[in-house]
Amino acid sequence: MKKLIYFNLMMLPLFGMAQSIDRTKAPAPGKAPLIQVGSPVKFTLANGLQIFVVKNTKLPQVSATLAFDYDGFAEGDKAGVAEIAGQLLKRGTVSKSKAELDEAIEFLGGGMSTSSGSASISSLKANFPALMTLLAEVVLHPALATSELEKIRKQTLSGIESNKDDANAISGNVVKKLVYGATHPYGEMMTTKTVNNISINDVKSFLGTYWKPNAAYLVFVGDIEPAYAKTLAEKSFGAWAKGNIVKQNFPKPNLPNSTYVAIVDRPSSVQSVVTIASTVDLYPGSENAISGSVMNNILGGGFSGRLFSNLREKHAFTYGAYSSLTPSRQVGFFQADASVRNDKTDSSVQELLHEINIMRNEKVGDTELSRMKNYLSGSFARSLENPATIADFALKVAQFHLPADYYQKYLTNLALVDAVKVQAAAKSFLNPSKMHIIIVGNAKQIAKGLEKYGPISYYDLEGNKVAAPTEVKTDASLTPEVLMQKVINAVGGKEALSKVTDVQMKGTASIQGQSLTMNKTLILPGNVSASMSMGTMALMKQMVVDGKYSVSQQGQQMPITDDVKEGLDEDATIAPEQLFLSKSYGLKIVGIEKVDGKDAIDVEVTTPSKKVSHRFYDASTYLLVKTSKSEEVPGRGTVTQQEFYNGYQVVNGIQLASELIIDLGPMKINVKYSDIKMNQGLKTSDLK
Amino acid sequence: MRLKFLMAMVSVFSISIAQAQTHAIQFEKYTLPNGLKVILHEDHSAPVVAVTTLYHVGSKNEDTARTGFAHFFEHLLFEGSENIKRGEFDKYITNAGGALNANTSQDRTFYYELLPSNQVDLGLWLESERMMHAKIEQIGVNTQREVVKEEKRQRMDNRPYGSFLTEVLKRSFKVHPYQWAPIGSMDHLNAAKLEEFIHFYKTFYVPNNCVLSIAGDFNKADLKNKIAAYFGPIKKGENPIPRPTIKEPALGGEVRDVIQDNIQLPGVFQAYRAPKQGGDEYYAFNVLSTILSGGESSRMTKTLVDKKQQAVAAQSAPFFNEDEGLFITLAIANMGVKIEALESSMDSVISDLKNNIVGEREFQKVKNQITTQLVTGNATMAGIAESLANNEVYFGDANLINTELDKYNKVTRQDVLNVAKKYLNKDNRVVLYYVPKEKPTTK
Repeated sequence: MKKLIYFNLMMLPLFGMAQSIDRTKAPAPGKAPLIQVGSPVKFTLANGLQIFVVKNTKLPQVSATLAFDYDGFAEGDKAGVAEIAGQLLKRGTVSKSKAELDEAIEFLGGGMSTSSGSASISSLKANFPALMTLLAEVVLHPALATSELEKIRKQTLSGIESNKDDANAISGNVVKKLVYGATHPYGEMMTTKTVNNISINDVKSFLGTYWKPNAAYLVFVGDIEPAYAKTLAEKSFGAWAKGNIVKQNFPKPNLPNSTYVAIVDRPSSVQSVVTIASTVDLYPGSENAISGSVMNNILGGGFSGRLFSNLREKHAFTYGAYSSLTPSRQVGFFQADASVRNDKTDSSVQELLHEINIMRNEKVGDTELSRMKNYLSGSFARSLENPATIADFALKVAQFHLPADYYQKYLTNLALVDAVKVQAAAKSFLNPSKMHIIIVGNAKQIAKGLEKYGPISYYDLEGNKVAAPTEVKTDASLTPEVLMQKVINAVGGKEALSKVTDVQMKGTASIQGQSLTMNKTLILPGNVSASMSMGTMALMKQMVVDGKYSVSQQGQQMPITDDVKEGLDEDATIAPEQLFLSKSYGLKIVGIEKVDGKDAIDVEVTTPSKKVSHRFYDASTYLLVKTSKSEEVPGRGTVTQQEFYNGYQVVNGIQLASELIIDLGPMKINVKYSDIKMNQGLKTSDLK
Repeated sequence: MRLKFLMAMVSVFSISIAQAQTHAIQFEKYTLPNGLKVILHEDHSAPVVAVTTLYHVGSKNEDTARTGFAHFFEHLLFEGSENIKRGEFDKYITNAGGALNANTSQDRTFYYELLPSNQVDLGLWLESERMMHAKIEQIGVNTQREVVKEEKRQRMDNRPYGSFLTEVLKRSFKVHPYQWAPIGSMDHLNAAKLEEFIHFYKTFYVPNNCVLSIAGDFNKADLKNKIAAYFGPIKKGENPIPRPTIKEPALGGEVRDVIQDNIQLPGVFQAYRAPKQGGDEYYAFNVLSTILSGGESSRMTKTLVDKKQQAVAAQSAPFFNEDEGLFITLAIANMGVKIEALESSMDSVISDLKNNIVGEREFQKVKNQITTQLVTGNATMAGIAESLANNEVYFGDANLINTELDKYNKVTRQDVLNVAKKYLNKDNRVVLYYVPKEKPTTK
């Protein structure tokens, strides 16, 4: 029986094989499909809560999202309160601890998430009513416990702290502040100060002001009857009292009078984060929103964008260059950005502006346009597979007052975009004469040449205007040799140094929250053993003992090259400056640079094997405050290692740095020596 | 009170089963004269289509001196065909707004393209080109050999604990080809001649060793015509398709070893020999695994990570295949925790499972989690197409996609206790300690 059916089915396609195909080339796409986005059924509860139900019975699954009609507000000296409130909501209710709440959600096989402007749940249909009860409990009766607030505060502060080292995070903050303005809700910045200002009452006041049923949508998507959704909504949120809606007043950000360059000086940067940005008159559903999106994708929408092929493929200035164009109910935003090598900063700005100008001045070709339209229509169609996309559409249609069939007609409208419309969009959204060009990088190395794009001004990490870093000249009479003598004297002087026979330093190092043991023992002249270990296991060990050099990493011996020997020889001294003067080292005073806010003299040191590094000495105390060294690492490009020296202690008249920060870019090692002993009579046989 | 609550939960659960069953995945299955099995699931809810091919070839079909071939082909078959220029395969897909990828297991290789539905022909063309006359040339072999080496470096050599599967497999199996991982041996790939690759292609990448599974927004009658046009002319394979018949004997005693790796935190990997996929015990094992590591409130997470804080991560990983299975539990030690202490805690979690029947509430929770997973697993066209093809190839029953939940529902608390007692024994396992490369200098 079964075989027979197979037989028949098998024959059918053979008989119907009239269709001929040409397999030498790719088949043409069929007609753009008509998108069937379910129209939501809408209700409004007595308290003003608007309910949308997008019924989709494909799976016995339901999700609900409670979304507030909330664009943000000026948080002022409590910036961050909304974000923290969003996190705090899910950390327990008046009747359930955080652990109990998590268990209850998991028992239903469901999930829940909360943020400053929304709360959502998702589960199988059968468990959905119970999960809905938990959602109502979280929204209406959250615990908002101080102890949980403190946990979040701690995490947030450590996040802010680590962002201070992150050029991209700095750039993101400063770009927002300069483009939107400091008092605009989109331009505000969370700082240690504002986060510390936030109290549990501020969280309660935020939720009390903005989380109101008459300013919210509850969107159900999935296998649920609209009438039942309404019943559930009534049961869960019907008793929620409506309140006054606070009118949010957003100042309209001004465009700069003319294009200018803002530099955030970050002397340690080996790459510049370049952003060219402005606000744009682009709102969800704007007539030119779709042609704007096509235009932006052609310019910098990914691997096939023009910025990518110019700055990466053609010029190799960067690993990636992109642009984005974002509509918003308040004000839209455009940016083109790339992280580029220091010496290519000027050229990169030029190429970014060049591509922006071409986009405005020339019509896009047919092939490029149709390829982009295919890509966008395909991505759109695929995105619809996720029911969350449909919920998102329903919400946007309501919040932004879009035509009810906006998303149904998206592909048809996309198909109508032509080269004329793309160019028109470029002319309205890209205005190269009124742009913010914001660069986070090493001002000394990159500023030259940038003035041709507009006046240059300088900003600190928090986007406050600061004076241009002044070029401090070093005293012309200061020769490298004189400076080395001053340094040796600052450390303690030749005589005191000659009395040191051994130094033993013990301490700890912390790397990304992990604590390691650091040991360094010097036996003078010329012997050293330094190790970094975890428990009893050595992660790294370097030594010179009686002229024998060895370096091991996790037990593996590393090759000993001339420059490794030179490095170890420097380590085997208290003041390597003595070594620099006695051997054939090249020394050059480069200038003055700020290190931790203080002037330091930058000396370029070239070793006998021609390895170049920089040492920075405090301009008034002459103590070493920083070293910097760059190396080519195969596969990773240029990697820069910086070391910062602090916490000088005087032992037997000798200045020793008890604190050291080793900065490897993405990773930092903080070393603290708590136990320093000198002249214990150690022998080289003690060095293991 | 408690009983009432439990009863309420049971009824909730039975509702969800009933609901799941009403949402059966409809599909049609037929075979072309050249042996190609076709499975079609038509669904117009979104304008997308997943075009997939599943070839019944994995690392277990490889020659002992040519391991890594199946996975190598996963790469090689993107190189192009008589009508697709080198390097163009993925461009066709991205320019159409689609996405594509492939993966290889011990038992099968799976290729898929996700496309907007008006581009379904493109998927048929690409997959039929791949099956009909892929280019197996020295230049492509050389290129992909470098790519695979890079992949091995990135995913196994450079990734902490990345070699664990390879190390576990070679100690768990002595005669069955499951003793090597799909990535195979780079030496074997280096030694292989072009003719060998061509022979492998002609043996395994043939219509009679493949399931073409398509799910999504299409007109079935029309699509069937196109499938016939694109795939009908492909010739049936002429070589016999070798499949291992060898039976792996019992492990015969605990195997222990220490692996030195570039890691900072030691790890414990325990692999228990287990039955092959698809039987009653297999379902009981999956329930057991969810008890151990399904979510924040699962036993391994709660005990080892939260309560004792001995591990930074702990989980169980069922590794069931066509011929044999393994049940793996693993944990990565927290700073300063002795590896022996960690293993002993893992053992006591297992021993609890062997000695005490799981509580009713917990059992219910786990079944609720599994139900959600199974049902939401069918949320995407790609997921449906892959499940249908897997079920057809492994069990000759594509419809298992609709009946698998019944198999889980039959699992009792006693069944879980039984498999724990039968399989989770020391003489049936391999235990690997992963330790940082340099051994501690003191004890």
